[in-house]
Amino acid sequence: MNGVMLSQGLRSPMRHLAGLRRAKAISTSIVHNETIFVKNNDEFVNKVMNNDKPVIVNFHAEWCEPCKILTPKLKELIEPLNNLDLAVVDVEDNAELVHTFEVKAVPAVIAIRNGLIVDKFIGLVDADMINNLIDRMSGKKKDGA
Amino acid sequence: MAPIGGWMCCGRKAKLVDPLTESVCDEDGTYDYDLAVLGGGSGGLACAKEAINQGAKVAVLDFVTPSPQGTKWGLGGTCVNVGCIPKKLMHQAALLGEAIHEAVAYGWQVPSVDQVKINWSSLTEAVQNHIKSVNWVTRVDLREKKIEYINGLGSFKDPHTIIATLKNGSQKELTAKNIVIAVGGRPHYPDIPGAKEYCISSDDIFSLSNPPGKTLVVGAGYIGLECAGFLNSLGYSSTVLVRSVPLRGFDQQMAGMITSEMEEKGVKFHHRCIPVSVEKLETGQLRARWLNTETKEQGEDIFDTVLLATGRYALTEQLNLKAAGVNVLSENGKVVAETEQTNVPHIYAVGDVLEGRPELTPVAIHAGRLLARRMFGGASQLMDYDNVATTVFTPLEYGCVGLSEEQATQRYGADNLEVYHAFYKPTEFFIPQRNIRNCYLKAVALREAPQKILGLHFVGPVAGEVIQGFAAAVKCGITMEQLVNTVGIHPTVAEEFTRLNITKRSGKDPNPASCCS
Repeated sequence: MNGVMLSQGLRSPMRHLAGLRRAKAISTSIVHNETIFVKNNDEFVNKVMNNDKPVIVNFHAEWCEPCKILTPKLKELIEPLNNLDLAVVDVEDNAELVHTFEVKAVPAVIAIRNGLIVDKFIGLVDADMINNLIDRMSGKKKDGA
Repeated sequence: MAPIGGWMCCGRKAKLVDPLTESVCDEDGTYDYDLAVLGGGSGGLACAKEAINQGAKVAVLDFVTPSPQGTKWGLGGTCVNVGCIPKKLMHQAALLGEAIHEAVAYGWQVPSVDQVKINWSSLTEAVQNHIKSVNWVTRVDLREKKIEYINGLGSFKDPHTIIATLKNGSQKELTAKNIVIAVGGRPHYPDIPGAKEYCISSDDIFSLSNPPGKTLVVGAGYIGLECAGFLNSLGYSSTVLVRSVPLRGFDQQMAGMITSEMEEKGVKFHHRCIPVSVEKLETGQLRARWLNTETKEQGEDIFDTVLLATGRYALTEQLNLKAAGVNVLSENGKVVAETEQTNVPHIYAVGDVLEGRPELTPVAIHAGRLLARRMFGGASQLMDYDNVATTVFTPLEYGCVGLSEEQATQRYGADNLEVYHAFYKPTEFFIPQRNIRNCYLKAVALREAPQKILGLHFVGPVAGEVIQGFAAAVKCGITMEQLVNTVGIHPTVAEEFTRLNITKRSGKDPNPASCCS
């Protein structure tokens, strides 16, 4: 339904939609657009797998220099967006998630939509790749573009 | 999904608390694991990973008791956390500091070169970040290979049962068909006032929260010398107390070259001195007192840090080996096991915990792997502990393989030996006018043709890289005839081995005239 509304490109439906989203956000107590810091499996299931927005999941470690560059960059690009969330998973605190998603190196970025992995990249990639992924996930580009 | 860090047993459920009933492990041998490894360091992990490759069910126990100063670290053992890895990184930091100054001679325009200083926090942060990444990768690797990792201190309840005491005090019990003791060692603290209260060891230096400042290093083994070496090069004035001789057990002529070089770089040595006490002053600094055992003179000075490097001891006491029936401990508390097998057939030992074996990571790794293959792969190859190459990473490095001149003389007699030697001048040293006085190498060989080489010794830059290839040659039984017929690579320092032609016996001057002839 989001896609249909967006493609009509009308301002008032957009504002209406935005209004709905805000209200909906309050009722589900997810703070609109703030980065999700995943502390445990339950939080991951609730806020990432069950999120109706696509989520970029960033596997991060404090001791990892490239992570210290990528994570703030992702925050900067994703926090302003209404229709895409960012979740940061600290690999030291979430050993099981690391294992489940077969994360063998950090930084690792996995894109999840409706509970399914739709993209993944490992390592600090260039700005183009990041922007590309974000555009695709936030619907600015068609999938597969 | 299995709970994080929880048991993954397929045989029986492991008990959480020591029960009153006897260990339910019957004679037909249904154990929780095929192999339990005590110690997650170089030897233990290599053995565990090879055992998994051979199809065994494996658990690894690893636990770090905090140092007297409270330092702890993660999985990976001494080498990764408080040994080889951080040591080499700090050695590299020291060399880079020297290189910045040498660069000026080569034409680099380095602004305010005299004000170039090390930021200790940045250095330790970078080193610790690397170590943490290795800890993490190690854990991920174990999980992937399905090796059960238990963060607990292991001890024996009986020959096949181990109790793991976790950080929170709770205990887990497990049984294993085979057990490998790979617990390594920790720094020894001399029994003097102030040692445990105020002094640090190699366990602490690599994560020290404040810059070490003016440092006293007690001990002149390779740990003491390497630490004094990089601290001095980083700009922290260093003094070394030598009880008997530096690098005891190593070739003493070469050890002398190393200490000369360090002295010429500003490290102070007090020979034949033992520490007497360390007290803390109001300023927070430390007053260290020592005694010269020859002259009976007392000495003292004020330092910011006192680093004890007076040897390491094996962590066998906490294992309760008596309960396992293992009775092959040496005087030093190390395990005597020629082929890594103790007196109890299914209990083995590998790594620093072994008596009379080189305390080196590659030795532990190789021995651990071969052991696992013998245990589970039907192999019979034993570990060859002879001709193991090693390197002391003082700022000017010392690499060697095979026998020292003293050992060769003792074994064969001076008349049956021929020692070839030379001083050399690395090409790169000329422009910045680096000290070449201690750039020296020698080959200890049998006198009789074809003069089989018994030992090679090299003091100079990148000594570790130079010696490694020659270690393979020595393993093949290289002779002087073969060595001098090897054409060198020019210009390198390693090629000096191929240019050896002056013997000690001839009395000729081993100083080089010029290069290229």
